[in-house]
Amino acid sequence: MAKFKLRFVLITLFFCTVVFSQEHYKEDLFHAEIMKKAEAFKSNTFFYKAASFFIEKEWNSTLVNSMKLLDTSKENITLTDYAHYFRGYSFKQKKMFKEAQNEFELISKAFEFYYLVTARLGQIALEQNRFEEAIPYFQALKELSEEDSFYFEKSATLNNLGLCYLHLGDFKKAAPYLSESVELKEQQKDTLEIINAYINVANLYYEQYQDDLAIPYFEKAYQLSKKIKDFNVKRRSTLNMAVVEENRKDFVKSLAYRKEYEKWKDSLNDQNKIWEVAKLEKEFAVKEKQKEVGLLQAENKAKIIERNGLLYSAVVLLFLLGISIYFYKEKAKVNKIIVAQKEDLDALNATKDKLFSVVSHDLRSSVNALKSSNTKLLGHLEAKNLEQLDSLLHTNSGIVNGAYNLLDNLLHWALLQTKQSYFEIASLRLFFIVEQTAYNYKPLMQEKNIQFDNSVLKSEVVFADQESLKIVLRNLLDNAIKFSKPNGSIKIYTRSTTDAFCDLVIEDSGLGMSEITRLELLKETGMLSKKEHEDVIGTGLGLQLCKSMIKINKGEFSIESELEKGAKMIVSLPKTT
Amino acid sequence: MDNVNVLIVEDTPAESDALIKVLEVNNYNIVGVATSFKAALDLFYNNKIDIVVIDIFLNGFPEGISFAETINGSPNASKPFVFLTSSTDRKIFERAKLTQPFSYLMKPFNELEILYALEMAVEKFYAQPDVFLGEEEDTVISNEYLFIKKGKSLKKVLIADIIYIEVEEKYCNIITENEKFVILISLTKMLKLLDATIFFRTHRNYIVNSIKIIEIVPGDNLIMLSGNHKVTLSENYKDFLKKLPTLK
Repeated sequence: MAKFKLRFVLITLFFCTVVFSQEHYKEDLFHAEIMKKAEAFKSNTFFYKAASFFIEKEWNSTLVNSMKLLDTSKENITLTDYAHYFRGYSFKQKKMFKEAQNEFELISKAFEFYYLVTARLGQIALEQNRFEEAIPYFQALKELSEEDSFYFEKSATLNNLGLCYLHLGDFKKAAPYLSESVELKEQQKDTLEIINAYINVANLYYEQYQDDLAIPYFEKAYQLSKKIKDFNVKRRSTLNMAVVEENRKDFVKSLAYRKEYEKWKDSLNDQNKIWEVAKLEKEFAVKEKQKEVGLLQAENKAKIIERNGLLYSAVVLLFLLGISIYFYKEKAKVNKIIVAQKEDLDALNATKDKLFSVVSHDLRSSVNALKSSNTKLLGHLEAKNLEQLDSLLHTNSGIVNGAYNLLDNLLHWALLQTKQSYFEIASLRLFFIVEQTAYNYKPLMQEKNIQFDNSVLKSEVVFADQESLKIVLRNLLDNAIKFSKPNGSIKIYTRSTTDAFCDLVIEDSGLGMSEITRLELLKETGMLSKKEHEDVIGTGLGLQLCKSMIKINKGEFSIESELEKGAKMIVSLPKTT
Repeated sequence: MDNVNVLIVEDTPAESDALIKVLEVNNYNIVGVATSFKAALDLFYNNKIDIVVIDIFLNGFPEGISFAETINGSPNASKPFVFLTSSTDRKIFERAKLTQPFSYLMKPFNELEILYALEMAVEKFYAQPDVFLGEEEDTVISNEYLFIKKGKSLKKVLIADIIYIEVEEKYCNIITENEKFVILISLTKMLKLLDATIFFRTHRNYIVNSIKIIEIVPGDNLIMLSGNHKVTLSENYKDFLKKLPTLK
């Protein structure tokens, strides 16, 4: 009785491993099939998720998603069947057999993997030791052809059937199934499975006290177990051998097997312990690593923050630097401009001051000359000296003329600076302008006996403002007369150098000027106070005015001269086409 | 030939006296001197005026411009004018400039300048530029008068007084009741500017005032004019006879 009990215990120890180890061969194939289905129904997120979790063996998530799938798509029988299958399988894996059975029973017969459902139901019955219920399921499976049962092992079914009959004590029915299972297993050459099958068969015979038949299977199992590393299998086969020897009263051998059994048990325990320790160590190490990683991460974070801070501040500093450099440069530029302007203004102011002093000096001497002349005039008038009176009056009118010209220039200069004067460029006939301007100087030229010749053609037409051109001509003529010796000559004529410009030349046979003076006169702001000819000092205002006037008329001014050889004042003006 | 009538609008007697002196020396006839806007209008409408010389500033206000604007605005009465000014004030000039045709003279001016300005005013007013300044011509033709440059001054001839014109190359002999003189003008311009209903071409070289025709002798190809003048009638130009109002 004790023996039987022991044997029974041995057998029950097997179940789980026996049932489940049969599965995994075909599991991957089935998963692939489900994946295909999931791809096909990808639009249904719940199905897709449920299938994915099912494959990944996330049972809780599978349950949740399949529940949602059931709620949303009640119409589609295919999908609900899958959902029930997922749920049933998940419950089964979670050892909730009652719920699992319910779910499996809800699956319609049309489900394409219905035989799997049958298998699962059978397995559940087997798990719950309801052997008689299990038998019909396995019988149904056994009847299926090889192709229909593609996704699970036929040997497993046979094995399970055998086991059922074994547990029910129906050894006659159990025997053919188990031996067939053994044959199939042997064909598959899976040592572990073969050992299990052998032990099952051995148990079958042993229970029936057919020791002669049982012992070779036990021994075969024992021998095979030596070749594998699974301590559990080794232990079980050794224990079986020990029990067998014990029952045969061969205690020496039994003891040896016992000891081996103990060894394997210890090994198993040791292994378990080692595993546990290793696991603990690993966990510890992982924790340590985690800590380290955490620390490093924190450090890294700190570093990154620091680096970013540095980077930002560097960027901001660079930006500020750029801005300050920009502003500094701008300021420097502005300062430079201001300094240049200041210098210009200073120069201009100095020129203006000089001009003031020279002009006022000139005017003062003119007025002073008039004053003294007037006293003389009064004297001559009293003495009725008419001849003297006449000559004095002529001198006076000369003085007044000079002063008037100076004042006139001053007025035009001021008007020009403030842009107050009227200015209109029109086409002008040069001849008449020259004639009209020269008219005022006729008496002066006669007095000095200067030969005047205006040979400008009447057809010569230029673009200019009449009044400003007259001012220019007045000044140039005035100068020409001033610098001419008595009996000299002044010629005014035109010459065309280019198609666009007409050169008006005022030529005198006077004192002329040196190259230095010439260049000085042509300078932008050249105000002359001292010249070669001390007796005929001018302010330089006249010529300055000429240059400005010519410039606003879009013309050009040049001088050709040599000392003692007269001078040519040349005014280039744009032609009227 | 008659002197040209000038009206002076000027409030400073010294200035107007100087101006009168210069103009009279050059055979201009001074009709009067107005010293105010009102007096100027009076003189202008009650006399035969050919040219007006206007000082922009009358009694401190730019009334001269107002006067110019007024005479410019009256139809058939507007005459050539010259602005006189000592001001180079831009704003005043911009306003004065609007009184087209615009001609101005800056004070102080000399004899040549005033004469030139008067000629310019006539040229501009009758829109016949470059007549007195150029060398090809010397006559401006208005509706009433020929303005002819004689030496430095300007003369005028009443167009109605002309009996006939004889063309000699680029010269034209003008024959009036009292005198005969030569002007420098092209025949084409002459024909274009003279009234075509009164003046007709009778010959390649003759333009005749139809009002002065006394008798036409087609047999001798002659036209008898007042003052015993005779002009040839050429075959090519006989068509004009049809246009003569008296012969229709």
